[in-house]
Amino acid sequence: MDTAESSSTSKKIQVQRFKPDDNPDKHYLNEETGLWAWLTTVDHKKIGVMFLSAVTFFFFIGGIMALLVRTELWTPAKTFIEANTYNQLFTLHGAIMVFLFLVPAVPAALGNFILPLQLGAKDVAFPKLNLLSFYLYLTGAFVAIFAILNGGIDTGWTFYTPYSSTTGGAVTTMVFGVFIIGFSSILTGVNFITTIHKLRAPGLTWDKLSLFSWSLYATSIIQILATPVLAITLALIGMERILGIGIFDPAMGGDPVLFQHFFWFYSHPAVYIMIVPGFGVVSEVISTFSRKHIFGYWAIALSSLAIAFISFLVWGHHMFVSGQASLASMVFSFLTFLVGIPTGIKMFNWTATLYKGSIDIKSPLLYIFGFFFLFLVGGLTGIVLASIALDVHLHDTYYVVAHFHFVMVGGMVMALLAGVHYWWPKITGRMYNEVMAKIACGIIFVGFNVTFLPQFVMGSQGMPRRYFNYIEQFQPFHQVSTIGSYILGLGFLMVFYYLVKSLFTGKKATANPWGSRALEWQINTRPPLHNFHHIPVIINGPYDYHKPMEEFQLGLAESTGDGHGQQSDIKVTSDGKEINAE
Amino acid sequence: MADHSSSTTHSRFFQHHFVDADQQFETAKMGMWIFLVTEILMFGGLFAAYIVFRLWYPDLFTQASTQLNTFWGGVNTVVLIGSSLTVAMAIKSAQLNQKKNIAINLGITLALAAVFMVIKYFEWTHKFELGIFPGQFYDFGGIEHEKANVFFSLYYLMTGLHGIHVLIGMGLMGWLLWRSLKNHFDSEYYTPIEITGLYWHLVDIIWIFLFPLFYLIE
Amino acid sequence: MSGHHISTDKTLLSVAAALLALTILTVGVTYIHIPAPWNIITAMGIAVVKAGLVALFFMNLYWDERFNSMLLIAGLAFFGLLVALTLLDTLFRAEVIPAF
Repeated sequence: MDTAESSSTSKKIQVQRFKPDDNPDKHYLNEETGLWAWLTTVDHKKIGVMFLSAVTFFFFIGGIMALLVRTELWTPAKTFIEANTYNQLFTLHGAIMVFLFLVPAVPAALGNFILPLQLGAKDVAFPKLNLLSFYLYLTGAFVAIFAILNGGIDTGWTFYTPYSSTTGGAVTTMVFGVFIIGFSSILTGVNFITTIHKLRAPGLTWDKLSLFSWSLYATSIIQILATPVLAITLALIGMERILGIGIFDPAMGGDPVLFQHFFWFYSHPAVYIMIVPGFGVVSEVISTFSRKHIFGYWAIALSSLAIAFISFLVWGHHMFVSGQASLASMVFSFLTFLVGIPTGIKMFNWTATLYKGSIDIKSPLLYIFGFFFLFLVGGLTGIVLASIALDVHLHDTYYVVAHFHFVMVGGMVMALLAGVHYWWPKITGRMYNEVMAKIACGIIFVGFNVTFLPQFVMGSQGMPRRYFNYIEQFQPFHQVSTIGSYILGLGFLMVFYYLVKSLFTGKKATANPWGSRALEWQINTRPPLHNFHHIPVIINGPYDYHKPMEEFQLGLAESTGDGHGQQSDIKVTSDGKEINAE
Repeated sequence: MADHSSSTTHSRFFQHHFVDADQQFETAKMGMWIFLVTEILMFGGLFAAYIVFRLWYPDLFTQASTQLNTFWGGVNTVVLIGSSLTVAMAIKSAQLNQKKNIAINLGITLALAAVFMVIKYFEWTHKFELGIFPGQFYDFGGIEHEKANVFFSLYYLMTGLHGIHVLIGMGLMGWLLWRSLKNHFDSEYYTPIEITGLYWHLVDIIWIFLFPLFYLIE
Repeated sequence: MSGHHISTDKTLLSVAAALLALTILTVGVTYIHIPAPWNIITAMGIAVVKAGLVALFFMNLYWDERFNSMLLIAGLAFFGLLVALTLLDTLFRAEVIPAF
């Protein structure tokens, strides 16, 4: 039985108020210590922190590769690396950033940490699967690195057949690595959907679910529906290379376009796996820093689900010039335009939330403003690319590269950074340097635009993507873009610097530094090992800024009685006044 | 709520982050169903390839399926249906607290799964003797169609992936059997049998479709 | 709506018997050679009925909470989507110019 439903009786219930501790002596980081406790932990918070460290590491690796690629493109011919190395570098930049950074970044890192806190749950539904998911991710990453060191791959992250089934290098090993990472992603999806359905606290009905949780729900739906198709497709590439099965390889009687269908059935929805959780972060941050109830709660919540659904209908827009039937191209083009509707609904609702709010421009909100501008450009150029006639011209040019990076870096990475800054006090118990955070945000915003705006121009003039050599007329654009990438890299390094520094010298954070109404801010900063000393009873929504702060922080005045020694906690908080609530 | 009140008594397999055993059971079951969705879509990729190629080359499928033995395919269908029945019986035995019957039913399931794999082994090795290998190793002159290798690639991939699932299922059944012999299961706690059962039935369902799609083409 | 429905031996055995009968039926109809599109439709129809019986009574969906049935249907629907949109291409491709 659903806990939420079983308690939704109309009789009056006694609820007690508990004030969260600002700097508790015991929290999730020091209740179980030692390396072994970390490696075997099933605590969603620690797993989230481990994921956050891992994705940061791979973001760094992928970023270095991007800088090497950009540096090589400084001159039209060879600058300092061989063409074949260049091919491997951009392939690995793409594969690492997509599979090891973008896909797990928000759901597995921030989502793991925040979701159970927002649901009033002690953990995710399957804590052991959660840990397994992390180790599958690491295993897949090691297999992928092994593939890089043992021959490398030069197919691009898309693994198109027949090139991928015939080229040399370690493609089989690489697809096996991605296959394993796919299972990690599937397990996260299974875990989150079940958790949201079954582990909500008493009173936390669907209309009180935070929009971050809604977005994770939509993301998980995509993960479980799309990822298995990628798994089987990659397995088929492996089989094609080992056995020559002839499903995709035309030399053996297969059809290479079929591969593209299967691949994009995953990989188009996958870009929504990457961006939709970012949307969730935006909703949280916007509401908190406007001190205002989110505008159009249901519109935002349901538009996430709508995006999840529509994302499965549009994959063919990657294949307009692949030789697929023109009927299919027309249908896919039409359906692609539909994605703009739910995305537009979100943008309008976010801006409407800001309207007449008490806007407090702290660094998380500043990152979100960056997100607005960059994602808007990324989204609108997507509409441009969706129209067949234009896409035939722009296909596989730097225009597509710029579009993708505006959505993924400008949208998703900005949202991720906003989320990291927003929840940093809750995760680490420390405040970072606000001034430096704002400066870094500015540097990243400028650096990003300097890098990618010229790419729109040269793309529309016909500069193809992935080329090692290019004609001289594009050199100024490439050089500006390369300079921009250095600025961008500097900005990310700065973020890394002050965040790490805050761990040691940062001011101690209070339980709720932003004055948020969301549930995760109503518990201790650096939450206790099992999140809630008392089962919380949810009466108010996460965006009820029209209600006074005293009405939050509610919990049942009884011990959960499962032998976790919480009897003593009741004494500590026995000064909490009793209130009546329906 | 359930007819029996498990909410007050905590089994030793009860996990602390649930409110009661019922919630734990329902959560595990929903998790398994979501996982089964991923299984459907994983097989779905292969089924989609099958459909595409069958609509392109209907003659190929008619000709090539004559090489498959309908009798043994049919026997395997019956074997899997039987094993599904015994899994369902094992769950029922657990619900009724008939601990001995749990082990017996799981044992029969395991045996039937083994029979399925043995038959599968003989089917495959017979084809290998004829030179019907998957993909580029295909070396059989009996079918007058240039894409005959593609049909058998699909055959080996789909029955092979299904076979892998049967093997995983056998491992799970063995584990359940071992646990049931250690008296872990009763009417209060039988979640692993229930969710492994769901997995096993899905494997059965997939075979129910594979059988007519490969063996019964005329 | 709990998952603790206990099936009787009678239900389980009659479902198994029905599955067995349908298996014999689906093999049997191949001997009467139904004309082209209808033979595959018959075979698939029987398979769907068999799968439905397994899902409803062995997997207990008939008594289970509706969300689990929705999951199964969603899985099948998105598989259908994969097939339908792929066929939109593969069935409508223009002939490639052979001499090209």
